[in-house]
Amino acid sequence: MTVAARDMNDTILRVDRLRVAYDHPLGAVRAVDEVSFSLRPHERFGLAGESGSGKSTMSLAILRMIKPPGRIEGGEVWLGDIALSTLSADAMRALRLAGIAMVPQGSMNSLNPVVRIRDQIRDALADHGLTPGRRALDERVAGLLTQVGLPADVAGKYPHELSGGMKQRACIAIAICLRPKVIIADEPTSALDVVVQKQVMQTLGRVQQDLGAAIILVGHDMGLMAQFVDRLGIMYAGRLVEVAPIRTIITAPRHPYTRMLIDSLPSLDHRGGLRGIPGLAPLLRELPAGCAFHPRCPQAVERCRTEKPAVRPMGPDATVACHLA
Amino acid sequence: MRRYLRRNTSLMVGLVLLGLLALFMIVGALTVDTSNAQALSVPALQPPSWDYPFGTDRQGRDLLAVMVAGTPLTLRIGFIAGFFGVGIGAVLAFTAAYYRGWVDTVIRGVADIGLTVPGLLVLIIIAVSIKSLLTVNEMALIVASLAWLNPTRTIRSQVLTLRERGFVEIARLNGLSGPEIIFQELMPNLLPYLAATLVASVSSAILASVGLEVLGLGPVEAPTLGMTLYWVNFNAAIINGWWWWWLAPLVVILVVFLGLFFLTVGLDEIANPRLRRAA
Amino acid sequence: MSALIELRTVGKTFSGGKVALEDVSLALQEDQPRFIAVVGESGSGKTTLARLLLGMIEPTTGTVRYRGEDLAGLSGARRNAFRREVQAVFQDPYEVYNPFYRVDHVLTTPVRKFRLAATRTEGRGLIEAALRSVGLRPEEILGRYPHQLSGGQRQRIMVARALLLRPRLIVADEPVSMVDASLRATILSSLRRLHEEMRISILYITHDLATAYQVADSIIVLYRAAVAEAGHVERVVKAPLHPYTQLLIGSIPLVSTERSWVEDKPAAGRPGGAGCHFADRCPSAMDHCLSAAPSLFQVAPDHAAACFLRADAPALAEGALSSVLG
Repeated sequence: MTVAARDMNDTILRVDRLRVAYDHPLGAVRAVDEVSFSLRPHERFGLAGESGSGKSTMSLAILRMIKPPGRIEGGEVWLGDIALSTLSADAMRALRLAGIAMVPQGSMNSLNPVVRIRDQIRDALADHGLTPGRRALDERVAGLLTQVGLPADVAGKYPHELSGGMKQRACIAIAICLRPKVIIADEPTSALDVVVQKQVMQTLGRVQQDLGAAIILVGHDMGLMAQFVDRLGIMYAGRLVEVAPIRTIITAPRHPYTRMLIDSLPSLDHRGGLRGIPGLAPLLRELPAGCAFHPRCPQAVERCRTEKPAVRPMGPDATVACHLA
Repeated sequence: MRRYLRRNTSLMVGLVLLGLLALFMIVGALTVDTSNAQALSVPALQPPSWDYPFGTDRQGRDLLAVMVAGTPLTLRIGFIAGFFGVGIGAVLAFTAAYYRGWVDTVIRGVADIGLTVPGLLVLIIIAVSIKSLLTVNEMALIVASLAWLNPTRTIRSQVLTLRERGFVEIARLNGLSGPEIIFQELMPNLLPYLAATLVASVSSAILASVGLEVLGLGPVEAPTLGMTLYWVNFNAAIINGWWWWWLAPLVVILVVFLGLFFLTVGLDEIANPRLRRAA
Repeated sequence: MSALIELRTVGKTFSGGKVALEDVSLALQEDQPRFIAVVGESGSGKTTLARLLLGMIEPTTGTVRYRGEDLAGLSGARRNAFRREVQAVFQDPYEVYNPFYRVDHVLTTPVRKFRLAATRTEGRGLIEAALRSVGLRPEEILGRYPHQLSGGQRQRIMVARALLLRPRLIVADEPVSMVDASLRATILSSLRRLHEEMRISILYITHDLATAYQVADSIIVLYRAAVAEAGHVERVVKAPLHPYTQLLIGSIPLVSTERSWVEDKPAAGRPGGAGCHFADRCPSAMDHCLSAAPSLFQVAPDHAAACFLRADAPALAEGALSSVLG
């Protein structure tokens, strides 16, 4: 999935120094700390991180769906040339699904169990002012179902009548019904088995290509990222510690955390020692001074203990936040 | 603790109301002559005055003394019946829910049948059948006989959910036996819920006893709150305009029920973290 | 000598008709500690297998035997002995802790119930040693409540708990699937070390073939209640025989610069009858596959597959599954 040369300079989505905090009785916690990245049209961008990294907060923040006690503290998200923070609540609502759509984790929680699939799509369209007549709706739904590889009879079914993979594809169908420019897929396959996961991801990829949309894939499965995305951002303790083309991340990672993460993944090539990353990810409300990764970093030097590394560009597509890179 | 009370207003209000009641009873016991709660002690039908702050009734009882003497009696009935109810109910509930099978079917069946029978009716029948004059303790036992039905059901459903939790399996792997699991693993998690159920049970026991007493089926010689209302009714105090006679017991009963109600709501919030308002 | 634990033609059907496991026989010997991975998707029967081995449910057909005795009939001292020798680690590191108690409770209870120590101090020593052997520092763990520790720490405490009793077999049901990727390797390595140093057999149940490949010696692949393939992990992963195993391996997203996800071969499209459970999805399904269920054919001393494509190999004798597991 290469990105055409003429798209190199366009960005469809730009996140600029976004900061999200949660108010905790013991003090505010910074869940997303000055994260910046841009997304090109047609691009597949991955956002990887473990628990506590802030990646799930990121997808909610881009859609401006952070609820109290969380709040967006600062920074901006640009869709094309619209700054999302300047939109009214109604305008933002209109933008969700039509401009930026989300395929959420756990379709069990996002599909209304008492509403048929056709009607859920109808509701999504109606929320955006589109009320096609019965025939037009049926055609539209049939078209969407074909796009995601589901048989036409799914339209009249309830979510519990569908398997996990089918439910997730139904969620994709809803997400694309208004032809968004950006799709955020937040761990879309975590509850699915490996065989179904592949089918759903292939569906997602095909759909993205047909629409000419850009995708942000949020997750923790590095294998999935390796097979699906063009560029990958790695999050740790709320910061984007490295961004690079996926090839670079796998073969020549710059940040020690990325390096150790890749090393810790089990391969199917040969059986060798399994290596984990020692220590624990820090609690967001008890971040160490300096670089948040330094207690676990084998290459940490004195500077890492006192000075937080700034995010530095490493070429047109890459950034890294490390004193030693 | 104080910070939590400020957030859990129901708990705070409940504790304050019951605290005031306790204060009233304690100070009252020390300052008021409770022998005046018996008939023919003081001049009859006096409206409230400095001598008789709550007034007096037709049989010559000092109503302040009646309140001071009667409130603890009513509460005692409630507590005995409530504790009995939840005690028996909890034992039955844990047994039924943990062991399932026929034990569960039997206990559940008896409780369900019992719950469909109108409780007050049964209590009336029992009270009427006892020929001799009732004492306060006997009253408590009568109410207790039905008080275990609802707690059995509600505690059972809580235990049913709890027993599916992973830590019960681990407890089994750790070698704990059934009763040990019930006492050591399940019960501690239900303490807040049991406390809330207890308070609710006490409240409904008091209601049942007051109901019986108003009908004249209570301990006639005792100056309980319900009996006072019975006399109010018997003597047509409302029509006769002796407003102080029914106001006093009414206010006390109100304080008791409101206090217990808010306490239940407050305890419920502790027991069910989902009800807690976000910090 | 009778096996430590043995499933003899065990089947389990749940009320409502769902067949969870069909005709599985497996024997684990005490003197031959093994690290076996049981791989399958949800609905394959792998969790049912674990619960049968742990005595948490009873089989509908066949028997589960502990040292020759039927597990269903055990009680009292014999059951206690079984508990000491067969222990478990479960998937969810949050659910397995009683929120009322500190994490010490889950470690002190078995010491107390199984009388592992004569004095409090001795017991404490055992607990601290167990914690250290899984890479935890006792001073950071003991005295804390579960919600104060991370998922990885909680899961390691559970491994330490399973260890305390010095069991002969630990059944680990998806022990790392709810733990961060960077910690998985640490926890699995400690299980591997336990197997090698203390000669404990480990049954590692998972859907993640990659970790199974890394940490186990032999593997059983389950598909819809039956054994599809079994053997040494190098053979099964590098040269899978059963079309399902091939599909499984082909679907795993590899962390490599090669895009390995290829289009699946379409199914030969005949919905199932009484035959092989995989027939409706199998690209190589033959008519024979719809009418009869294949038994395990032993293609090599350490590799067998339940597929008619391998029918030229000798059929594995009933109950001899363990022999291909090395």
